Amino acid sequence: MAAIDGEVAAAQPCDAATRRSCEFARDGARLNPFLTAALLLPGVVPAAALAQSMPDQGLFSLQYLDYRDWQPGAARMTVRNPSLYVMTPFAERYTFEGSLVYDAMSGASPLWFDTLSGASGLGVTDYRTAGDAKVTRYFDRYSIGAGVAYSHERDFISRAGSLDARWWTADKNTTLAFGFAGESDYIHPSARELDNGRRHSLDFLVGITQNLSPVDIVQSNLTYATGHGYYSDPYKTLDQRPGERRVLAWQTRYNHHFTVADATLQLGYRFLADSFGGDSHTFDVAWAQALPQGFTLTPSVRYYTQGAADFWFGPPFPQGFVNGQDYTADTRLSAFGAWTAGLRLTRTFADGWRVELSGDFYRQRGDWRIFGGGSEGLLPFSARWFAASVSKTF
Amino acid sequence: MRRLAIAMLALSCAACATMTPPKPWEKGDLARPSMTIGSDPLGDRGNAHVYESKEMTGGGGSVGGGGCGCN
Repeated sequence: MAAIDGEVAAAQPCDAATRRSCEFARDGARLNPFLTAALLLPGVVPAAALAQSMPDQGLFSLQYLDYRDWQPGAARMTVRNPSLYVMTPFAERYTFEGSLVYDAMSGASPLWFDTLSGASGLGVTDYRTAGDAKVTRYFDRYSIGAGVAYSHERDFISRAGSLDARWWTADKNTTLAFGFAGESDYIHPSARELDNGRRHSLDFLVGITQNLSPVDIVQSNLTYATGHGYYSDPYKTLDQRPGERRVLAWQTRYNHHFTVADATLQLGYRFLADSFGGDSHTFDVAWAQALPQGFTLTPSVRYYTQGAADFWFGPPFPQGFVNGQDYTADTRLSAFGAWTAGLRLTRTFADGWRVELSGDFYRQRGDWRIFGGGSEGLLPFSARWFAASVSKTF
Repeated sequence: MRRLAIAMLALSCAACATMTPPKPWEKGDLARPSMTIGSDPLGDRGNAHVYESKEMTGGGGSVGGGGCGCN
């Protein structure tokens, strides 16, 4: 969530033409927004991406991410995000995983229809600290894991617990995964008191990973999340969203290795149906090309498209508002399409060290939507983020 | 829009049916980091974090597994 800080520069008022920028400037500061529920929390659902049998090595990884977004002539938001991940086997049949993350956000926040800074022109800063821990017990043909997660911002606290089980065939070519998680969130905005700023949700997951051939692997996951409680944005004037939400997502990822080229094609697709309205499709493609001296270069492209929420209304604000009915002007709930172009350079060393640099450029426009028309009257939105990481197996 | 999701599901099933799973000694390429789905926990989380703050909804991708049974 967000809080005001007078040290941050002010920006111009947020009119219809710059509304998208204005909202994103502020929403960018809110890297755990109401909409995302707790699916985002590390450890809420089985997050480990390791081999299905007991890992024989530990992994330590440290990453620093720098994020900025902008719009023509509009304010910018900056996010700096260091994070740490550790996984280690212990007691022969167990693994421990844990991560810590810290987000520091700052930027100008012209909140024309917000209750935060209004005409005062004060900007936004916020921070988020989050951590999770998980222990997994491995058996000959299956494993059981239990995890907890906690995330804290100035005006948002989330707690979660998860259980997962995995079962694999004798030849270890097929793995089934089942997961369950429960979250409890508490929202206490700095601008005003809520009568009941709580939200509870449950997540269910079933997935399969299949080795199709010596050079083909596919993973398919189905997740269902259901929650009730406070989903509105207390910082948006007139924002009123349903008190229940259900999200069904199906994601499939497929990798193929080309032996002659010493390269891997990585494909991904996700379909997501949301009770708020606005089904979405996501397509990913990447090419990981091995190079001499232990380098790997991976260009990638992602396309995303979504429909608008049933209760979203475009500019001019507050067009479409009817007292007592659901309403939002949050542009994240509008209809749009988005492209991401990314490039990742990895250097692997013989002693288990690995260094990686990556950069991604993101652009979002209403007229880039497919499977329907995009929302009108909103300016394009752009973002870029760079990441540097170092990891070591032990 | 949902017809596309059904088509993608059917395509996935068809692909699975036409291939032969590898023997234990054929998993060398599957053990490569580039072939391991979700081999970069922090990188995947960072990207998911950005997208979920800029788009309507997220999730659906986190699950254990993705390994090749190479251990």
